[in-house]
Amino acid sequence: MIDPKRLFFLFLILCGAGVVLAALLPRRANRVVLAWIGSLSSLTILWVGGAVLLSGQAWQVDLWNIWSLGPMVLKMDRLSALFVFIAGLVFLPVSIFSASYMNLPKYVKRYGFKSFGIYYHLLLAAIVLLLVAGDMLSFLLAWEAMSIFSYLLVNYEHEKEDTTKAGYLMLSLGEAGTIAVVLAFFLLARTATGLDFPALRAAAAGMGQASAWAIFLLSFFGFGVKAGLVPTNIWLPLAHPAAPSNVSAILSGVILNLGLYGIVRFNADLLPVKDIGAGAIVLIVGSISALVGILYAVIRNDMKEMLAHSSIENIGIITAGLGAGFIFRIAGLPALAGIAFIAAFYHLLNHSLYKALLFLGAGAVDYSAGERNMDRLGGLIRVMPWTSLFFLVGALSIAALPPFNGFVSEWLTLQTMLRSVELSSMGIKIIFALCAAALALTAALAVTCFVKAFAMSFLGLARSPKASKAVEVNRSMQAPMAILALCCLLFGILPTYVIPVLDNTIATFTHEHMVDELVPPFFTAPQGNARFPQEFVSEFHDLGAQVGRTFLPGQGLVVMHRGTEHNPVVYAMSTSYTFVVLILLMGGSLILFRVLTRSRKVDRGPVWAGGVRQLLPKMTYTATGFSNPVRVIFEAVFRPVIFDEMRETVAEHFLIAVKSQRQEVYILERTMFSPLARLGRWLAALLGKIHSGSVNLYAAYILISLGIVLIIQRLM
Amino acid sequence: MWEWVWEGIRSGIVTTAYPAREETASGVSPGFPTDLPRTFAAAGEASVAASCCPTEALLSEDQQVVLREPRCIHCYRCLRQTETPLAWQWQGNYEWAVSPHPRVELAKKFGRSFRRSLHLRILDAGACGACLSEIEQLNKPYYNMHRLGFFVTPTPRDADVLVVAGPMTEHMRQPLLSAYEAMPTPKAVLALGACAIFGGVFGTSFASMGGVASLIPVDILVPGCPPPPLAILHALLALIGRVEPAACELNSSSPGGERGD
Amino acid sequence: MAQGLSKNHRQLDLAEAIAKRWHWKVNVSCDTALSQCYVECDRNQLLELCRWLIDDMDYALGSLIVEETNENWLLRYVFYGEPDSEAVHLGLRLDKAEKTTVPSISPIIHAADWQEREAWDLFGLRFEGHPRLIDIVRHEAWPAEIYPMRKNFDGSQPGPHPPVERPFQPYHVVQAPGAFLMPIGPVFSDAAESALFLLESVGEDVIRIWPRFFYKFRGVEKIAEGQAVDRVLLLAERFSGTSSFAHSLAFCQAVEAICRVDLPSRAQALRIVFAELERFRHHVAAIAGICNSTALAVATSQAGILEEEALRLSGTLTGHRYLFGLNKPGGVTLDLNDRQCEDLSSGVQAIFLKLARLYDLLRYSSSFLDRLEEVGMVTKDQARNYGLVGPIARASGLARDLRQVLPYALYSEISFEVPQEEEGDGYARLRLLFREAEQSAKILQKILSFLPPGEIAAREVALKPGAALGWAEAPRGATFHWVRLDEQGRVRRYHLTTPSFTNWHGFHFAAEDFAYQDFPIIMASFGLSNAECDR
Ligand code: SF4
Ligand code: SF4
Repeated sequence: MIDPKRLFFLFLILCGAGVVLAALLPRRANRVVLAWIGSLSSLTILWVGGAVLLSGQAWQVDLWNIWSLGPMVLKMDRLSALFVFIAGLVFLPVSIFSASYMNLPKYVKRYGFKSFGIYYHLLLAAIVLLLVAGDMLSFLLAWEAMSIFSYLLVNYEHEKEDTTKAGYLMLSLGEAGTIAVVLAFFLLARTATGLDFPALRAAAAGMGQASAWAIFLLSFFGFGVKAGLVPTNIWLPLAHPAAPSNVSAILSGVILNLGLYGIVRFNADLLPVKDIGAGAIVLIVGSISALVGILYAVIRNDMKEMLAHSSIENIGIITAGLGAGFIFRIAGLPALAGIAFIAAFYHLLNHSLYKALLFLGAGAVDYSAGERNMDRLGGLIRVMPWTSLFFLVGALSIAALPPFNGFVSEWLTLQTMLRSVELSSMGIKIIFALCAAALALTAALAVTCFVKAFAMSFLGLARSPKASKAVEVNRSMQAPMAILALCCLLFGILPTYVIPVLDNTIATFTHEHMVDELVPPFFTAPQGNARFPQEFVSEFHDLGAQVGRTFLPGQGLVVMHRGTEHNPVVYAMSTSYTFVVLILLMGGSLILFRVLTRSRKVDRGPVWAGGVRQLLPKMTYTATGFSNPVRVIFEAVFRPVIFDEMRETVAEHFLIAVKSQRQEVYILERTMFSPLARLGRWLAALLGKIHSGSVNLYAAYILISLGIVLIIQRLM
Repeated sequence: MWEWVWEGIRSGIVTTAYPAREETASGVSPGFPTDLPRTFAAAGEASVAASCCPTEALLSEDQQVVLREPRCIHCYRCLRQTETPLAWQWQGNYEWAVSPHPRVELAKKFGRSFRRSLHLRILDAGACGACLSEIEQLNKPYYNMHRLGFFVTPTPRDADVLVVAGPMTEHMRQPLLSAYEAMPTPKAVLALGACAIFGGVFGTSFASMGGVASLIPVDILVPGCPPPPLAILHALLALIGRVEPAACELNSSSPGGERGD
Repeated sequence: MAQGLSKNHRQLDLAEAIAKRWHWKVNVSCDTALSQCYVECDRNQLLELCRWLIDDMDYALGSLIVEETNENWLLRYVFYGEPDSEAVHLGLRLDKAEKTTVPSISPIIHAADWQEREAWDLFGLRFEGHPRLIDIVRHEAWPAEIYPMRKNFDGSQPGPHPPVERPFQPYHVVQAPGAFLMPIGPVFSDAAESALFLLESVGEDVIRIWPRFFYKFRGVEKIAEGQAVDRVLLLAERFSGTSSFAHSLAFCQAVEAICRVDLPSRAQALRIVFAELERFRHHVAAIAGICNSTALAVATSQAGILEEEALRLSGTLTGHRYLFGLNKPGGVTLDLNDRQCEDLSSGVQAIFLKLARLYDLLRYSSSFLDRLEEVGMVTKDQARNYGLVGPIARASGLARDLRQVLPYALYSEISFEVPQEEEGDGYARLRLLFREAEQSAKILQKILSFLPPGEIAAREVALKPGAALGWAEAPRGATFHWVRLDEQGRVRRYHLTTPSFTNWHGFHFAAEDFAYQDFPIIMASFGLSNAECDR
């Protein structure tokens, strides 16, 4: 067994080597370096993270003491390890994919490869350092580095105006978030003896309510920007289409997670939220993000923009799960809190996997068709069968259909929300009900969204010459997608192996193990245990819950929530068995079909299209058409600022053109940022008035400010 | 809503008893001229008499005039527009669907499993509207073909029988072929009406092909212009071997004999 | 007689007005017997004359007839106007040797749009100034250079099949991202007639509809050429089986006009009987279609029962459920005895009573009305612009009925009402169908109670060369049949303008900015026949 600590340093060395080699080597070799060093370093952190996750042995490296600020510490506990592991899982395929993908003429010709390789490895290092940072200072340093390198990568095509705009927005909003995070840290560190996390934790224990609220709000806002939560997510739908697809995969698969990591680290670990209101805020913000995200995802036709909105949706679902966890925890329902956290973390893991997969798929389509607008794609399944298959797996996963991974976590999240009936406060119950409804709607719309995405891009007829000329991408681009697709399937059909690990992870801050709440020991304790008595277990054995016991390790293959006396099983499901049954059914019917039609000739007829003589691409459904019903129903959300339909006729009645113009402003820009900008301008004007130039007046201002500061100080 | 329920009950059952019993109501069928017993003095006279028929449904054989039902379009000219009516009687029967194949072979095509569930796809290849209207009557209370297990299906993908009406226009040729191709086997084709059998009054021209048989093999023909609903019902029943088709006197290559122009 | 005189006067007035206005440069001749005014004009006067007729005289374009002679193209624009005003025929003679372009009147008379397109497609006459002169009859399988109605084209041979089809380039206008043309047809999902509807949309709502007809093009006009009158009669009554009697009537009247045959009044009365019976049956069927499209099962069944009863009544009394074989030039082929008259009268009355009951139920079924009201709107202006005819025009407040405008048979001698509705939506059309069915039933009662005695057909019809227009108010609206006979008494040119052709042209108004699910309802409320349109 290699010491994970050593491996970690190996990882840092590898990253360094990657940077140096990228800077020195010629362009051709550069791609190989990216693929090899990138995947090697990803493998190392996968190993490091995995080892800590499974063994639970946290390690710590004290770097040095700066002055009185306390030690700088690198520490990997299970919480860090989970995020590191996910980062590895995403970076590995992306590294392989990038080598070919970055070969696109539009990148190679103008921007070269060097800068990409350098930033890529630096970003990887910064992310991992951020995750293992054990004190405020290193955390903030890594955070800043991560922000900057991710910005540089997103801004790769820096000669494009759209890209620079998007990058600028990303950077400025991110910095605003960073300021909030810094403030939160300072508030927390005010009374602390050191800047390392244990010291902060200790300081947090004696924190007053007002300060706790301030810290919560600041950190939630600050990390929320990175995570892409409403209302500060407006950078995300712009950054994704601007960035190269592999960067998008990292952005959605890893960087958004970092925001969530911050939220969890701060509000569950360092300073656990104590007010149910704070939990409610998290829940509501999460649910709104989910709904807004999916609504926009449904109507967007640019594949990557659609995926960006869908990321907002998924982060929203995760956040809602976290919020539910906070609330249950405060309300004294640790079991439910545990389940909620498990669901949220599970979804986080899943989202990273399938979103990375989908972004790589979109990248592959972009690579070979040169087109991301679904209105102009279509029919790719015939020319890109493998990409289509992998994209389909991603779409099924994200649409939360069994047996893929998205189903498990979304199902758990929704089930947990429904358990809110056990809460006592009516107000919170109502909030829960509304949020659960929003999430249910989100889930339904997600299916629409990805039916559209898959059908419009891969099925039907090619709607543009570009799409009809597409060819399958090469193996080195297929393999990464295959890895991710396989993971989506595995994490979907083996939830009972994932849940215990996640349970251990959340125990780092909840300090309670909830695994028995979800995974009954059907394999390990066939006689039952304290929580699952003999009769209960054997009843399920009769139903077949023990199938696989002889050759599979683990507790069982059923996810089940054990409730009260009246309601012994709140819910139960097993994607593992579902998967087996599905395979058997499908395989069985296939065999049956083959047997039955063995002696028959099978005719294959052309598509029946009502007998039209020549079926033109113009006559097939478009992505816009598919999502238009949603657009019409939710017109109040999208509210176009310009919506004109101009009819041009000659000789009064000969209609020759209907030109429709439609321009929308993103709902948050419309409702928050534009008014804010107006307010800013108004304030600036006001300030102009205040600055009269009189010394007396300035003295008065100073006095007033001082008074306000003193009052605030008192309150805290 | 209750008024509608009551209205439905109030009007009772009007559905025909066919095929259990014969339908005796009047006006259900235009019928064919029958009873052409006259023996003419000379063969020439017979052919002059037969020439009153615009579609050559009447044929002179020696001194007799015989009727080829598939070509008759009920124009009543042999009755109303001749000096002495040729046809003395008009037969109101409707069981006149004919098939190039005998009953046993027809029954074999679909086998027993289709006997109570046969799906039709109707294809309008230039029909004048009367033929289609008569098919629609089959869906309505008086005939209600659902009770016998006949259904109209929206797509040829699910269809067992292609019902073709009209003289097979050039413009419908390709849609017809693709519909036929889209049908799963076993499949049958029903030529509905004089038009689909031999082109009817439109014959063969630059725009119509004079019947479906020129494009795809036809399994059963329903003479008439238009064939009344009961005749169509008879054809469908004959197709699955539940009743006997009318006496078969066709050579399958050119149904209805030579084309008149 | 007095009426006839005043009519004569008005005709002279019109002739004089035209002659004066155009400084005696045009040739005007009137024929009272045919109640038509023929104006021979040249291509420079055409537009002005048309504008004057439409704008000042409130005439409507009925038909555009193209004839080919060895040297010339003869174009005849038929206009008809208010009740008891004669039809105006504008004649335009073009030299074939010169370039074959005709000034298009479509920009000022929109009703001419499809008629000109048809002439372009079938004769290759280029209409100058037509904004959308694209093919309408010929589909992609037709070679671009072959015009089937030209004399040098042999219609008896199978159609030409070039090895490579022309590419199908559907006309579309919506310029928005994601706009597409949703095809419906040509093979529909039920027993509907073949036609292709391209619904232009960006999803959810349909912005514009582009119907494509002539899938059922049987070339009736072409195959009629060179045939004997009694054969063409078969074509006339069988190209549109659901309005067979009206069309055979128009054809017979054209032949009778050429041969100047006077009909016994019993024949004329019987023609009214059959025509109204057909209208009655057609309207019942149309009502059944509307009920069916709104998925109102009981009402559909009830209307279906009534339709079949009407069919059986026709079958019992005339021997044919669709009234085929009843007309011939010079009269009818079947007499009705008193008993039969009584049977018919009471039979129609019985059906009508049930129909009235159905109407009462429908009127109070809000779910049914919701789906019809304000669906498929056609305004009066649009109807006038497009020269729409029949129940559709009358439901939009345009009460024109050939039975009154250019009375034929005995219609001038019986009083009847031409119902009219103002709203122009699906419900207005349904109400109009009921009211017209009621009128037909009333006319039948009236005429059956005093059928004039006498012969049912003229003794003899001596065929003469010549040409004349026959018309009738078919169940779906005005139809015009132009017949020219040659020396042998064979048909030299047969032109049909049918109400379905005229009205399908305006269909897109009703089907504009609507939701997909309303499409069958709009279709059913129009109740048109593609067989009648495609010919
Ligand atoms: S009814 Fe007409 S078609 Fe039939 S046999 Fe007599 S003449 Fe011929
Ligand atoms: S067979 Fe007669 S009724 Fe049928 S489509 Fe032909 S003409 Fe019409």
